Amino acid sequence: MKPTLVTRTVMLTAAVLVVFLSVTLVYSQTSGKTRRTADGHPDLSGTWAFGIDLPPTGVTKVVDGQVIRSRVDQSARHAINNDVPGALPWTKAPSYKPEFQEKVKHLEANESKLDGVFYCGRPGVPRIGSPRKIVQLPNEMIFLYEDISGDPYRIIPMDGRKHNTKANPSYYGDAVGHWEKDILVVDTTNFVEDTWFGEDGYFHSGKLHVIERLWLTPDNNLVYQVTVDDPGVLTGPWTNFPHLIKPSTELLEESPPCKDDDGSRLLNLDHHLQR
Amino acid sequence: MNNRILTVSLIFVLLVPGLLVAHHSPSAIFDMKMRVPLKGSVTKVDWINPHIVVYMDVKGDDGKVENWKFESNPPRWFTKVGVTRADIAEAIGQTVTVEIVKAIDGSKYGYLQKITFENGNSIALGNASEKEEAKP
Repeated sequence: MKPTLVTRTVMLTAAVLVVFLSVTLVYSQTSGKTRRTADGHPDLSGTWAFGIDLPPTGVTKVVDGQVIRSRVDQSARHAINNDVPGALPWTKAPSYKPEFQEKVKHLEANESKLDGVFYCGRPGVPRIGSPRKIVQLPNEMIFLYEDISGDPYRIIPMDGRKHNTKANPSYYGDAVGHWEKDILVVDTTNFVEDTWFGEDGYFHSGKLHVIERLWLTPDNNLVYQVTVDDPGVLTGPWTNFPHLIKPSTELLEESPPCKDDDGSRLLNLDHHLQR
Repeated sequence: MNNRILTVSLIFVLLVPGLLVAHHSPSAIFDMKMRVPLKGSVTKVDWINPHIVVYMDVKGDDGKVENWKFESNPPRWFTKVGVTRADIAEAIGQTVTVEIVKAIDGSKYGYLQKITFENGNSIALGNASEKEEAKP
């Protein structure tokens, strides 16, 4: 069936609209104007760079006599810097109560045997890091992640509700969010106790309370900074350094299943660091 | 690039804590200084975290078939450098040569460094070639 004039007009209008929106999006990402949603909040939605620390090496393929070399692109990774606009002051490490400091040292020294994420365990919050993809809706934020333990998601209500005190403890906790001017604040509680909130043996109690702050730079890069409190084991809240994350065009990829049986083979405690 | 973009580019900081390779070092299991070749038939490729796993039957000096198992880098790493499971699984059923570092405990276990297919094509982890590249 041939399209009618009306159909053609609608299709043409739609095409022009798509082009216009695309140009607007690209312009807003490069013009220094913070991208915003219709309700006026910064628009954090989109896909963000893969922040996983992969071995910074490469591969050499020989195909029909032709040598092809490629390396892992680590260009999105940069040294820690104090000059991220809007960032809270941060310190290198949390302060544990004196009675727990030996335990932290023991866990850190034996991380390759005792850290659950070495054996396909769920990292929990905040160790999962910043989301790979954010879907921003008026009443909720949806965070999507890639992780070897699975590909978790978090749904963060933005409608002003309080924490669900009857929720079962979980790896990713009970989250509620709100805006503080242009900063998205995600407040999460009610965690299971078998995760660490950072490598180096940062164990926690059931009183773990995590506040994640996310905002856009003028050039529409994402900033992610976490404050952790746990009155059960820490002397006070700990704020980690801010992470500045580039937009990405790389689609999320389903993580293959995780099966690790190396634990019994370890002859020493050498291990990779995460950052 | 205007100054503002340049400034922001210069202040990029380390990204999120990585999880994929929060793991033991190969040196906790393998003798990284002892790289050895093995010839055999690939029987299976498991594209799994935290390491891909390749199984290979190798005929020993006494003629008996030994079942070797190799791990290698994470699947995400291979994807990032343009190698998919199909590239490795091409070896299934072929007689191939691999270079591995062997497990210190003497078991039939290794870390796969390079695989060369029957047709001469090969895939190698980057360290060796990087050294070669560094030569004048």
